[in-house]
Amino acid sequence: MGQIEIRDLSIEYKKPKSDETFVAVEKVSLSLRQGSFVTIVGSSGCGKSTLLLAIAGLIPYASGSIEVGGRKVSGPGRERAMVFQDASLLPWRTVHGNVRFGLELQRWKRDDIDERASRYVRMVGLGAFANYHPHQLSGGMRQRVNIARALAVDPDVLLMDEPFGALDAQTREVMGGELLRIWERDKKTAIFVTHAIDEAIMLGDEVVVMGRNPGHVRAVVRIDLPRPRTPEMLDSEAFLAYRRQLREYIAADLVALQMIEGVV
Amino acid sequence: MREAQLSAPALSAIGLRKRLAAFVDGYRDAGVSTLAVVAFLLLWEAAASWDWINIRYSSKPSAVWSAAIQVWRTDDFLLHAGVSFAAFASGFAMALAVGVPLGLYLGVSRRARLFLEPPLMALYTAPRLALLPILIVWLGIGLASKVAIVFLGAVFPILVNTLAGVRSSDNRLIVAARAFGATKTDIFLKILVPGCLPAILMGVRLGVGRGVLSVVVGEMFVSQAGIGYQIMTYGQGMRFDRLLVYAFAISLFGYALTVSVRMMENRFRNWRPAA
Repeated sequence: MGQIEIRDLSIEYKKPKSDETFVAVEKVSLSLRQGSFVTIVGSSGCGKSTLLLAIAGLIPYASGSIEVGGRKVSGPGRERAMVFQDASLLPWRTVHGNVRFGLELQRWKRDDIDERASRYVRMVGLGAFANYHPHQLSGGMRQRVNIARALAVDPDVLLMDEPFGALDAQTREVMGGELLRIWERDKKTAIFVTHAIDEAIMLGDEVVVMGRNPGHVRAVVRIDLPRPRTPEMLDSEAFLAYRRQLREYIAADLVALQMIEGVV
Repeated sequence: MREAQLSAPALSAIGLRKRLAAFVDGYRDAGVSTLAVVAFLLLWEAAASWDWINIRYSSKPSAVWSAAIQVWRTDDFLLHAGVSFAAFASGFAMALAVGVPLGLYLGVSRRARLFLEPPLMALYTAPRLALLPILIVWLGIGLASKVAIVFLGAVFPILVNTLAGVRSSDNRLIVAARAFGATKTDIFLKILVPGCLPAILMGVRLGVGRGVLSVVVGEMFVSQAGIGYQIMTYGQGMRFDRLLVYAFAISLFGYALTVSVRMMENRFRNWRPAA
């Protein structure tokens, strides 16, 4: 089902207008348990979004393998659904129409499409806004639609690429709580990419720290905070310890990079 | 500014009040515009009546009005309007049938663009009415030439805007669709076509103007009937009052059509953030 095995994964881009290739991700191996919530942090350019897009089947990889539920990933698939950053909603469709979108593309039955779309619109708390267009909604509401669209197709794995990256800090915290509430209902395997360390700890069972040049996994940190997570945990000793640890990993990566570039 | 407020009705009560205010504003704007037209007509009438201008070369509103009544009674106005309309409608329908599909196709096919864009752009910038003599040689004097010139006038704005609409479609939407397993057909039908509908309508609106212009000019040279033919005839006979009746009739037609397309555009704009 939602078990994910990544072995020796390398992803390369061809640099535009030259024969050189740029290695975005090099020899990444990860094993993600079914039903776990895994967050990926790292400074920009560490390949965390690239890794996620590869798991989604949206970009090819040069070598290694990705298996979801025992099946090799070779393109997008129904068992995976993706929540994008802001602005991936169809502006001409209403909230309800946008949630229908994924179901339509996956050729669900007509009755199911309407029923599920309505259900998931309500589930993310937008029942009263079903007929609004995206530009009439706040950023947080738009991301609720984005999440509903992904959950409506009933995936085993939920992939999220900095879904709250465009939101202000307060909204971001509220949305994180909402996401956990929804996730805890049926515990789908979730991969959540972010550059916010607090968010990564607060949401994740495990935090994968990635480093740059080329993108690689520096560490995988288990987060042993009880669920459900509460905002009070942000001030707990354990939380602060995790934060310190993760910061050190990321800072070390930045220092290493500066030495390569000769800045220091 | 008013549009920006309209598009963000955070609360429906506030939204309603703003819509009401916009409605009132809209009437006030229309009132000011009407006043301007009335003022112009009065000034024109006065200028002609008090010999500030020579009526022989300019006519005046009251004379145009009585000419309009005569034209309606004795001039077979509906016949001429029908002839012009037939040419316009056929040419414009062809322009739609070719412009929209070809624009969509050029939008998605790089190869077709490389191949067809240069000659099409050359034709687009060329004064197409200058091709009229060639068309007459090919198609003769009559409906076919007029249809062809309307087609040539209207097809380019439609084609170019459709093409631009497809080209400016948001890649993030396409990626999102692919993540849900969209096929190429899905992407075309569910992202590209609805996404460029406003651009297509804008092309249609511009095409209406070009098409109307083309039919009139075409009839001035290659017709035995029609609005353009009448304009030419009365122009040569120095009957400017009647000429103006036909000129007003044709602008009214073009205006009404443009306004209806714009209303359609506004309908589709309700999903767009105010520009």
